[in-house]
Amino acid sequence: MEPYAIAAGAFGAAMLVFTTYELLRRKMSLLGYFFWAVLWSALILIGVVPQFYSALLLATQALGMYTPLHFVTTFSILILFAVVYYLGKRIAELDDRLSTIVHHIALQNANIAAVNPGKGKEKLLEPRSSS
Amino acid sequence: MRVACIIPAFNEESTIAKIIQGALKHCDSVVVVDDHSQDHTPEISQRAGARVVTHILRLGAGAALLTGFKIALRTDAEAFVTIDGDGQHDPEEIPSLLQPIQDREADVIIGSRFLGRHGSMPLHKWIGNKFLSIAASLASGVRVLDSQSGFRAYRRTVLDYVMHSQRDYRYASEILILAARGKFRIKEVPVRTIYAARRRRGAGIRDGFKILYSTIRPKSIGQPTMTASER
Repeated sequence: MEPYAIAAGAFGAAMLVFTTYELLRRKMSLLGYFFWAVLWSALILIGVVPQFYSALLLATQALGMYTPLHFVTTFSILILFAVVYYLGKRIAELDDRLSTIVHHIALQNANIAAVNPGKGKEKLLEPRSSS
Repeated sequence: MRVACIIPAFNEESTIAKIIQGALKHCDSVVVVDDHSQDHTPEISQRAGARVVTHILRLGAGAALLTGFKIALRTDAEAFVTIDGDGQHDPEEIPSLLQPIQDREADVIIGSRFLGRHGSMPLHKWIGNKFLSIAASLASGVRVLDSQSGFRAYRRTVLDYVMHSQRDYRYASEILILAARGKFRIKEVPVRTIYAARRRRGAGIRDGFKILYSTIRPKSIGQPTMTASER
């Protein structure tokens, strides 16, 4: 076994153990675990059985690519772009939610201070007259 | 006319007290929205006589102003003044901002740094502001010389129907475009600009491009909930 194969297999195994540990600690969803488990298992497989690449030959030829390596790199990059896009969208959503929460807390604290003007905080609001 | 002043502030401990004291001479109440300052801005503001509302995280000048508007709208103020906390504007000029509202000449008054003496404005800011004002004028259909000025006055009805969504410096153009779409009258009055020799913050080049992009991109600006003529 070549050194790169040992390194790839060891890295894949370590990450699989870590991911499983995260699942057991309920820090990861089952769907997320499944995605990563398949990825790490493929990495281990490539390390232990380098011939695994040749299994991709059929798909490579069907797509008109030169070598299995082209297949792996092209689709890895595509998937990574999709993940980056999704994460960017998700971060923007969370950012919006965070902003709403910060506004809400600021307004709520202002209300509390208006109800209890003497309790540590200055009175913040003058209620609008009903007229 | 009852007037509320709103000051968005982030790390302004060296200037905020003077601004609040100056604003209190002309306004019935002052609300400081502390955007998670790391210095003594909230304590100093409170001691100076302002009502302080704090963000538990830093969101940006537009977001701080939005919180301030929501707080101020709960009071019975008929007009609102916004002023920067960094000492860039002179609170003694608040009456000249409020005059067109009292005279029923306009609904949104911009304290324009380009109508007054603007000799101390750095050249890159002058050029950037000019570009952004042209973009805001084209987008709103109303000619404005200083679309980025934070020194403004609003009639209460404007804020009842026009509320911005941008959290950073883009809010300044957004409010103007929304107000113009709502058929509110916009007017500029000259104000002095006081730039400190070593100003630490303010909109930078990156902010300038973001403002320009959101101004010329129609989808980034919504519609007012009601126009002046529909009221």
